[in-house]
Amino acid sequence: MKFSYQWLSELVEDLDIDAKEVSRRITLHTAESEGVEVHGALLKGACPATVLTVEAIPNSHNVKAEVETELYGKKTLACGAPNCRAGLRTMYVPLGVKRVSGVDSDGMLASAAELGINSDHDGIIELEGELGLEADSIIEIDNKSLTHRPDLWGHYGMARELAAILDKPLVDPVSMELLPVGAPVQPVVIEEFGLCPRYSAQVFEGVTVGESPWWMQYRLGSIGLNSISNIVDVTNWVLAELPQPTHAFDADKIQGKIIVRRAKQGERLLALNGEEYELSADDLVIADEAGALAIAGVIGGKASAIGPDTKRIVFESANFNASAIRKTSSRLKLRTDASMRFEKAQDPHNTLRAIARAAELLEMVCPEIVAVGGPTDVCAELKPMPVIHLSLPWLYRKLGRELPKSQVIGILERLAFGVVDQGEALEVTVPSWRATKDVSIPDDLVEEIGRTVGYATIDPVAPAMPVVPPPVNEERRFYNQLRSVATQQGFHEVYNYSFLSEAQAAKLGVPVEAHIKVLNPIASDQSLMRTTLLHGVLKNFEDNLKNFDQFRFFEIGKEIHKQPEGLPKEVAHLAAGFYSSGGDGAEGLRELERLARAFAPTMRFQPAAEARPFEHPLRSVELYLDTMLLGRIFEFHPNWVEGRAAVLDLNLGPLACMLAGIPKKYQPIRRFPSSEFDLSVLTPARTFSSEVEKALRSSASNAVEQIQFVREFTLPDGQRSLSFRVTVANQERTLTQDEITAERDGMIAAIRHAGFELR
Amino acid sequence: MIAEVEALAEGALARIHAAVNLDEMEAVRVEVLGRKGSLAEFGKRMGKLSAEERVAAGKALNGAKTSLEAAFDLKKTAFETAALDARLAGEWLDLTIPPQGIVPGSLHPLTQIQNEIESLFFSMGFTILDGPEVETEFYNFDALNIPPDHPARDMQDTFWLEGGHLLRTHTSPVQIRGMQRLGPPLRMIAPGRVFRNEEVDPSHEHTFYQLEGMMVDRDVSIANLLYFMKTLLSGIFKRDVTVRLRPGFFPFVEPGFELDIQCMVCGGEGCPVCKHSGWVELLPCGLVHPNVLRSGGINPDEYGGFAFGLGLTRLVMMRYLIDDIRWLQSGDLRFLKQF
Ligand SMILES: [Zn+2]
Repeated sequence: MKFSYQWLSELVEDLDIDAKEVSRRITLHTAESEGVEVHGALLKGACPATVLTVEAIPNSHNVKAEVETELYGKKTLACGAPNCRAGLRTMYVPLGVKRVSGVDSDGMLASAAELGINSDHDGIIELEGELGLEADSIIEIDNKSLTHRPDLWGHYGMARELAAILDKPLVDPVSMELLPVGAPVQPVVIEEFGLCPRYSAQVFEGVTVGESPWWMQYRLGSIGLNSISNIVDVTNWVLAELPQPTHAFDADKIQGKIIVRRAKQGERLLALNGEEYELSADDLVIADEAGALAIAGVIGGKASAIGPDTKRIVFESANFNASAIRKTSSRLKLRTDASMRFEKAQDPHNTLRAIARAAELLEMVCPEIVAVGGPTDVCAELKPMPVIHLSLPWLYRKLGRELPKSQVIGILERLAFGVVDQGEALEVTVPSWRATKDVSIPDDLVEEIGRTVGYATIDPVAPAMPVVPPPVNEERRFYNQLRSVATQQGFHEVYNYSFLSEAQAAKLGVPVEAHIKVLNPIASDQSLMRTTLLHGVLKNFEDNLKNFDQFRFFEIGKEIHKQPEGLPKEVAHLAAGFYSSGGDGAEGLRELERLARAFAPTMRFQPAAEARPFEHPLRSVELYLDTMLLGRIFEFHPNWVEGRAAVLDLNLGPLACMLAGIPKKYQPIRRFPSSEFDLSVLTPARTFSSEVEKALRSSASNAVEQIQFVREFTLPDGQRSLSFRVTVANQERTLTQDEITAERDGMIAAIRHAGFELR
Repeated sequence: MIAEVEALAEGALARIHAAVNLDEMEAVRVEVLGRKGSLAEFGKRMGKLSAEERVAAGKALNGAKTSLEAAFDLKKTAFETAALDARLAGEWLDLTIPPQGIVPGSLHPLTQIQNEIESLFFSMGFTILDGPEVETEFYNFDALNIPPDHPARDMQDTFWLEGGHLLRTHTSPVQIRGMQRLGPPLRMIAPGRVFRNEEVDPSHEHTFYQLEGMMVDRDVSIANLLYFMKTLLSGIFKRDVTVRLRPGFFPFVEPGFELDIQCMVCGGEGCPVCKHSGWVELLPCGLVHPNVLRSGGINPDEYGGFAFGLGLTRLVMMRYLIDDIRWLQSGDLRFLKQF
């Protein structure tokens, strides 16, 4: 929303700070300013000038003109305007000398567009009398910071803020004595007051539609409103000032009563912007007895629009339900200056003020205009203004500082709140334009007082609070331990997106239906929520192998799984990847096994029953803690990733709990020596050492302290030789040779039982 | 016999001195001092001597033994020293070769900044909470005083999911979950991933990280909020920072603020980083709206609080001067290895 400094200075008496300072103060006390821009910059130094002579320049569309300027004497310049002729009074802008079409052109003659008045660029401006315009400063306020303030969508509201901040008198642009008087002429019916609490309308006749004066065009243009015609410009002026949106209908195109009603399902309306809209029963229309005339609060219709021949107008000033307007506007994807204001909940008390102001302005831009009778004013019973009980000690506790009571009252009154002093408390009546949505509880008044006095006047204070160690978030602590282990092992942490595409899902063979769908994805390749981190891992491999021959990475992130009801299940996983462009791939897999063991030393690896399609057919292993399956290590099939890409995928949910559940316990150091013996086992090709170890363990008594894999080699015939070292010991005594032998024999028997041989 | 012993000792001494290595010398030792060595032989012959002679011979024998042992030890030490010197002299090593093996990896910059801020708040008595990334409309909007037709819902472009859920647009739902879980008084922060339906470009992401903070107690004032924010930011930026509050509209706080810090590039003089204002907008905050306390099951007549939301992604970009937000979730190790 743009604010004209000139406009504001007309509404704040004795405004003695410049636009930049206004911008700063508004930012500190009211809403965020995005900065100040100059409008009509060329007006600085410009002055009227009369063209004395005009001379054609050969081979150029420009002419050489001699002008008599009012401030700078005679000047010679080149001018391209078709209306540049001797005797014309226009505007001269000193710009210095520039060589144009062979002429040393000193300054320029300006068009209305160049001066910032309107978009007329067809020729230089033709002056009768004085222009009377000066360069203005435009303060741009972030719309987002005005969402809660319906009153700040117009200059009067912002002027009130400034006046309150600066403690200056506020000038009301509305004189209610200018409101036409007499019997209402235009009959109005409101079908649902809930949707339209108030509809005021005034008929005018003697209308001549034409251009509005330059001062009005310039002012509207400065805040981004294009001049249309004198009548429409008045509606825009009132909108930008009060900020009551209004609309002018051609009265001769209205048949009978004006009816404010819901649109009929499928009812169509050709709007002023040339678009035809199909409406639903959720939309509100302004209709006459023949049909819809306008989409209420959003846009007028073409059929009832004023045109060059319009003689009589119905000037509408109404109030509509904010959410209804917002819904219609967003459904039709049509945001207008009117709808933007109505959806913030405008003040229903403002409609007649707007008509009074319009009557004054219409007379300025269209002197023959005459009001017919007085305004029609159909109005629901309006809610009384809310009264808020404000305890002063409570206010000071919220602010964290005290204030003189007189200052509190002064601030509230400058912001137009009614105040009754009750000693320790105030009874505060909210003004109508703040009562629609914005201010309703004492906390809202804390803001009014705090921001006006200035938050800079509040000093930081440490709260008095008990010193208690906060509960520890064990899960996060555990994740951070994992992160630290992984980085120590050379893995770099990545963050991947939670979204994936259907193609990505297909690539890992997860059915699309297993994913939660995003109903409004930004792009079709982000339409599903991840049920595994592997899509991201795959992408990390693909992206990084272009730059590195070998790399390691990991991510801790959430899988999101559909549930029959309630929120989806979010399961934290750790995925790690090891890539090597060459080699036999064993290195990466072993490293990931080491990483898994670094996380949980008792992690067991068990061959996966079946390789998934994207896995190397012979390289996948499941990770167990006790009997709980927690994850998997595998190598990507070379058709998925070129080179050697090993992956660890670990479910962190149960892991965190299980590790927390394993208490560390001290074992007394043995006083008696242990004994060791080695067993070399001969197995068929491709027998997993875990199977042999399982056989060994099956016979181990509790004297067995450790069974450790020592080495392997493959015999020429393909058989494997796997060697294990067994450590046996007893807490109370040294084991006898017989006991050791018995242990060994038991194991050998178990090996044979499992179908292996001793080498 | 004494003369024989002396002669033997002399000869042996000469051989010890002449020995060029430990083995040679060891041979002499065994031959002369060993259990079956020459001196031992003399010892056996002692029995045949008279008592007087025996005393004299014993003396000579011991003298020879002692001097030979001493000579032997001395020479042995010399040999060992020489051998050790020789070994060490051969052990030149180029210790300037960079070490081989695993180079430690790196934590994502967002993790690093989260950890820093978490420990800062933990030390001030704030507990760290998590919340789901998929939320209900209730927690993401309604409970935060954002009713269905509130214009604030326009400000947040929400990803809607099948099943009526949504991806949380901010970490603020954890305020409600935290109040329900902990009850008053409480101090909590909740860092996490949030989502906005926004086109991605160098300064916009649909996935980013926030940190929510909240304190609820009997009397919590704007002055208290200022204190915590100043402490927090001085901790983050590791220097004293100047902050200011200005009005900001967020439905879940009343009053609501935008907190700015004085530009650390220009010190408030004005520069391109702060758009010549001297201030950089950093975080939204405010006193918790009574409706939000109610949603969390806390009586606003008894308790009040403050809340704030810190953009972690933005903070990381500011700290490391990262020019493109998309790097953070690119998984590109050329970028990540730098942290
Ligand atoms: Zn700066």
